[in-house]
Amino acid sequence: MKGLVTAEDARRRLSVGSVAAVLVGALVLAAAVYIMIHGLGLNPDLDFGAGAYYYADIPDYQKTLNWDTFTARLPFWVYLLLFLAWGALMWRLWKRIDR
Amino acid sequence: MTKNSSKLLHTEDWLAVWIGFIIIAAGLVAVLTGWFDFSALKFKTWTWGETVTGAAAAKVVPLGQQLASGAFWLKGLLTLCVLGVMFAVGAKLTGEKFSKFIPAFIGVFLLSVVVRLISAEFTLNRYLEWAFWALIVGMLISNTIGTPKWLKPAVRTEFYIKTGLVIMGFSVLFSNIAKFGLYGLGIAWVVTPVVILFMWWFGTRVLKMDNKPLIITMASATSVCGTSAAIASGAASGCKKDDLTMTISISIIFTVLMMVLEPVIIKACGMTPIMGGALIGGTVDSTGAVAVAGSVLGGEAEKAAVLVKMIQNILIGFIAFFVALFFATRVDKKNGQKVGAGEIWTRFPKFIIGFFVASLIASFVVLPLAGADQVKAVNGVLDQYKNWCFVLAFVSIGLDTNFRDIARQMKGGKPLWLYIVGQVFNIVLTFAMVWFLLSGAVFPIPTLD
Repeated sequence: MKGLVTAEDARRRLSVGSVAAVLVGALVLAAAVYIMIHGLGLNPDLDFGAGAYYYADIPDYQKTLNWDTFTARLPFWVYLLLFLAWGALMWRLWKRIDR
Repeated sequence: MTKNSSKLLHTEDWLAVWIGFIIIAAGLVAVLTGWFDFSALKFKTWTWGETVTGAAAAKVVPLGQQLASGAFWLKGLLTLCVLGVMFAVGAKLTGEKFSKFIPAFIGVFLLSVVVRLISAEFTLNRYLEWAFWALIVGMLISNTIGTPKWLKPAVRTEFYIKTGLVIMGFSVLFSNIAKFGLYGLGIAWVVTPVVILFMWWFGTRVLKMDNKPLIITMASATSVCGTSAAIASGAASGCKKDDLTMTISISIIFTVLMMVLEPVIIKACGMTPIMGGALIGGTVDSTGAVAVAGSVLGGEAEKAAVLVKMIQNILIGFIAFFVALFFATRVDKKNGQKVGAGEIWTRFPKFIIGFFVASLIASFVVLPLAGADQVKAVNGVLDQYKNWCFVLAFVSIGLDTNFRDIARQMKGGKPLWLYIVGQVFNIVLTFAMVWFLLSGAVFPIPTLD
């Protein structure tokens, strides 16, 4: 009958997954609030955190851009080929998974 | 006017590309010639009275002092005028009236100023991105007094997002692909698509979620770089505003935890700094959090973390491109329908082309010709315009979102489980790859100068 909630409906609504999700969600939220209140994990020498930053803020960012942080052994086109080949393989796999 | 040229000037996708390019060009001219200052309004860090130490303390400017500065108001006016004129012309070309759009845009812009002000507060900006505060401010209005009718002509989420993404393209340097050799490619590129495919399989087959745009948006946020990747994939797959809101909220909250806990766990495990940094770069969503968490493990770990994250960030454009292609050719087609090249082109989101062009110009024209210092300076200017576009977008999402709609989207907590299981898979796979490449057991350990 319309308007009546059966026990089956209620059970379905309160599945284990959804109750666990609420509990986990609340726990994660509480932990995040605790971290923020106590200022945990910050680096006083960096003027940014998770929320306010940009690459330009990262110390020695130009050095990283200048290619000298790590000396790559192979020519650029080899990396490009590997990049494209792996991408093509993953594209085919995605289509297969979605069948 | 032909049909094609009409589309180039009258569709939101193409207009976003042109506006993005104009802003990039203006930023380039301003920085490279020094003729004028094009930098947009940016709040400096302020505090509610928290004790700030170290180098960050020198950058704190009391809010009252900022508001009393003439330069502050001048920059604010410049930002409002640049974005206001661009978007007003764009809106007009898509059929909106100037008289309705301009006051509405000023209203949404002022709300965005409030958001940027909140997210410049010392503690808040270190943990929660402006996207979070933009959603909160927008939703507070829409779910309490309701969004005023006069604001609605400027509530144009997709327009702002697409424009912001084109501007962001300039900061995504494709040349970074070889920055960390096979090590970076292995950690960033091998793992990322595998995580996306795993989450796609888990979401569609195990959780039996039918909201495919939500799955791919969440998978991109988890495997690439949080908010930016979610925005790009969300726009490419045509996800709903509620989906984007949920994905970004979950990603931001978990980033706070991962930024703090991951370095602690890595230290406890006795991992080498280069392995720990690479693991952080490959798994923590937000780039800022990656740098901060990496720095906890030392200079070498920070470099490795940033290198891996920079390579991952290149993937935003590629992933958005293939997501758009996948949805155009498979998800959005009707049963038995054959999708030809013309139809794919029609359905394909054109702002992704703008993103790629901007990225290629920055990587292969501006960086070699002008050098890294100038690229950094240009990005410093463009980043603010990108942020303003995204803040406008997220305020718009908030103004258009109902709390009940989000609760309905949670569907038994499935999106949360998708994120958690996907993130655990991401950590395990990245760790396996980091061990394989950087432990010294198989390959020589690289040196970071």
